[in-house]
Amino acid sequence: MSSTRVISVDFECRIPRKLEEALEALNEEGSQVLAGGTDLLNNIKINAVKPSRLVYVLGIPELEFISVEGGRLIVGAAALLSDIEHNRQVVSRFPALVEAINVIGGTQIRNMATLAGNLCNASPGADTPPILFVLDAEVEICWTNGGTGAQRSRLPVGGFFTGPKKTVLKQGQIVHSVSIPLPPEHSGAAFRRLARVSLDIAKINCAAYIERDGDTVHEARIALGSVAPTPVRAPTIEKALDGRRYGGGLFQEAAELVEEDIAPIDDVRSTAEYRRQIASLLVREALQEAWRRSGGKG
Amino acid sequence: MKTAITLNVNGKEYPLEVKANEILLNVLRDRLGLMGTKYGCGIGECGDCTVLLDGKAILSCQSLAFTADGKKITTIEGLEHNGSLHPLQQAFIDEGAVQCGYCTPGMILSAKALLDTKPDPSDQEIKQAIRGNFCRCTGYTNIIRAIKTASEKIKDQGRKQT
Ligand SMILES: Cc1cc2nc3c(=O)[nH]c(=O)nc-3n(C[C@H](O)[C@H](O)[C@H](O)COP(=O)(O)OP(=O)(O)OC[C@H]3O[C@@H](n4cnc5c(N)ncnc54)[C@H](O)[C@@H]3O)c2cc1C
Ligand code: FES
Ligand code: FES
Repeated sequence: MSSTRVISVDFECRIPRKLEEALEALNEEGSQVLAGGTDLLNNIKINAVKPSRLVYVLGIPELEFISVEGGRLIVGAAALLSDIEHNRQVVSRFPALVEAINVIGGTQIRNMATLAGNLCNASPGADTPPILFVLDAEVEICWTNGGTGAQRSRLPVGGFFTGPKKTVLKQGQIVHSVSIPLPPEHSGAAFRRLARVSLDIAKINCAAYIERDGDTVHEARIALGSVAPTPVRAPTIEKALDGRRYGGGLFQEAAELVEEDIAPIDDVRSTAEYRRQIASLLVREALQEAWRRSGGKG
Repeated sequence: MKTAITLNVNGKEYPLEVKANEILLNVLRDRLGLMGTKYGCGIGECGDCTVLLDGKAILSCQSLAFTADGKKITTIEGLEHNGSLHPLQQAFIDEGAVQCGYCTPGMILSAKALLDTKPDPSDQEIKQAIRGNFCRCTGYTNIIRAIKTASEKIKDQGRKQT
């Protein structure tokens, strides 16, 4: 039976106080992380997933942090979206990340949901992956083999998604944190999205990052969501911008190459055709805003 | 398997045994008899089930009861004080911000979370705070006015007390 009022599936819960305990509990087949539950509970209610055990990770002190260390912003898996978007360091250094978080749900959703959950849910249209892609974020994964303490490894966020609703995570592995290098001077980033109404999931979203050298684009990174099975980078546009001088319709020309980099489909939120047409406009706007934030004139 | 938890709702402690899959909304309504919190969509979209958890607005339809163990929950029933309505409740009545009333408990709790941290919000901040609360009757204008009126009232009361 599927109902949005009650949950008919039975499962057990674990409320670990220590990371190690959580990791051990997750090694068993059928165990799944519960963070804010804003995606997971809906999926359980519609019987899309049937966990036998939920391991609640909010409240594990080792995962509950937002810090700046070694030139990187590090966001623990138990940090709430609302804490991230109001964090002073994040507000002053990552305005585009704040914008991408701020469009997610209403206040209540952001008071419950996590950044790690937004990644792990692996929706092709999720709002934080594009900006994390262009900011060169890394995902730290951890797990335990039992008795040896927590094992950890780090990978670029671009390598994290393997398909719609699919990530590299194996049973027992969790996202420990997401880290982002502090952006250098003369750089800027921006986020753009289109949705039917403000509370809706995006039809399409995109983020741009530019490192400026005087009036030329030293480096550009662009990423889009909801245009392919996973969020994607746009290497064709990036190459077209490398080392180019600003002006003369540069961003418009480059943005029009977006079709080379995306493979949108028709679905409930939009059509492939509309997404293709609107993608270049969003990319152009994001590039323009990133350029402005990098201190570029024009 | 059941888990022993304690819910602190509107200042009162309720020791309970809950199953892992019990939803907070249902525990509040069906086990504690607090019917003010409403079930609208059950999927996080309407905000009718909004309650405050340690002062922050959250959705009780998307929370498992065990995750609220030891936390302070405020429902609409917890707002009146010694028989008099909270300034937000009074302002919603005075400004005609209630029609069918189904969205009202959630709307007022979202507004309370806002005013508790920002006593003097702009229209934009009010709209942002209630973006996750749908009202299918009023058209929102009166709701926004009511929240402004309540914010004035609360500031006035604060001034009188000091
Ligand atoms: C009304 C509504 C509106 C929404 N609007 C948006 C929107 O505009 N944009 C958007 O991008 N999203 C939106 N969402 C989706 C959702 O809120 C986000 O994806 C959220 O960030 C998920 O985080 P969570 O902590 O709630 O994850 P959960 O629901 O707890 O978990 C999601 C999945 O990730 C796994 N998981 C969580 N944390 C970890 C971890 N640390 N390690 C390993 N696995 C983990 C869980 O097992 C589960 O499979 C919306 C949801 C709702 C209900
Ligand atoms: S009932 Fe919880 S958001 Fe609609
Ligand atoms: S008063 Fe009827 S839904 Fe708001």
